[in-house]
Amino acid sequence: EDSVPRQKIEIDNKIALERIRDTIKLDPSLPWTETLSVTYPAVIEVDVDDDLNRELAFYKQALDGAKKAMSLAEKHRLPFTRPADYFAEMVKSDAHMERIRQRLLDESATIKRSE
Amino acid sequence: DEETQAPIAKRPKNKQRVLLLSSRGITHRMRHFMNDLEALLPHVKKDSKLDSKNHLHLLPELADLNNCNNTLYFEARRHEDLYLWAAKTPNGPSIKMHVQNVHTMDELKMTGNCLKGSRGILSFDKSFDESEWGRLTKEVFTHIFGVPPQARKAKPFIDHILTFSVLDDKIWFRNFQIIEKDPTQPNGPPQTSLVEIGPRFVLTPIRIFEGAFSGATVYSNPEFVSPAAVRSALKRAKGNKYGKRKQ
Repeated sequence: EDSVPRQKIEIDNKIALERIRDTIKLDPSLPWTETLSVTYPAVIEVDVDDDLNRELAFYKQALDGAKKAMSLAEKHRLPFTRPADYFAEMVKSDAHMERIRQRLLDESATIKRSE
Repeated sequence: DEETQAPIAKRPKNKQRVLLLSSRGITHRMRHFMNDLEALLPHVKKDSKLDSKNHLHLLPELADLNNCNNTLYFEARRHEDLYLWAAKTPNGPSIKMHVQNVHTMDELKMTGNCLKGSRGILSFDKSFDESEWGRLTKEVFTHIFGVPPQARKAKPFIDHILTFSVLDDKIWFRNFQIIEKDPTQPNGPPQTSLVEIGPRFVLTPIRIFEGAFSGATVYSNPEFVSPAAVRSALKRAKGNKYGKRKQ
């Protein structure tokens, strides 16, 4: 026998959501340098299953954000670009980056061979 | 009340610290994913696994002990489903989400790299501002994923950007390295380009609670179907096919 389909109850208590946001909201007088948050002025509307265009849309959003952040950083005199003589630990180790490089080389070699 | 008592604070500051922990039963992929977040966010304090899945009320206390005002809690179910709680402790709110399509930084396809602990730019798309739950989520994510300037391990330069985009009622996360010079022309004009660093993941909001890991539900996503229900529906469909063939 079939089970009776149960309609899920939607809760969207907008008044409560807004009240909660008010309680945790950061001080609006905070300078931008405290959060480094930017908003992309467009809505992303692509086919979810279209991997290429989807990733392109995310890339565009990030590029727009990066450019905005650069001009904002300049305005707030926040150091942005890393000087060439500044070395520090990276999130991916040198060994890992070497493996990535090796893979890229292998790939291009395979392409050449098949040509 | 500390803020009001402080002798005329010079400047308002964004003080955030995040407690990061998981439940028992996480797989290696989930563990690597957590390590990625820890590497990217210098204001994160990682703690050991929480023993019980039924005692989430311990979490606000634990966050308080670690001087954290935010908590990211990963809950693994059946060794395959991963849920993420993003909460403001101790007073809430908390957002429960389902995590899917996790790609960690270890994957060789993502060739970017950035300083460990550099502060990332946060980019939200416009959809977050179009619904009340979106605005709240944006606020909470700004606290949790934005690195405050005085985080102790933070580096003074900016070289990556975290993007959050709403698509198909889900939140998609990407992390890109910002390259300011064209690598083929190191002395040419500056030209911004991006290379993906990772990790990647997709979050489906399930519920938003008023308190920290407790309280009334103020938002629930009617579109969310639990992964167990999806699997059982798949199995039933297969079973039906077999049943028909047998008749």
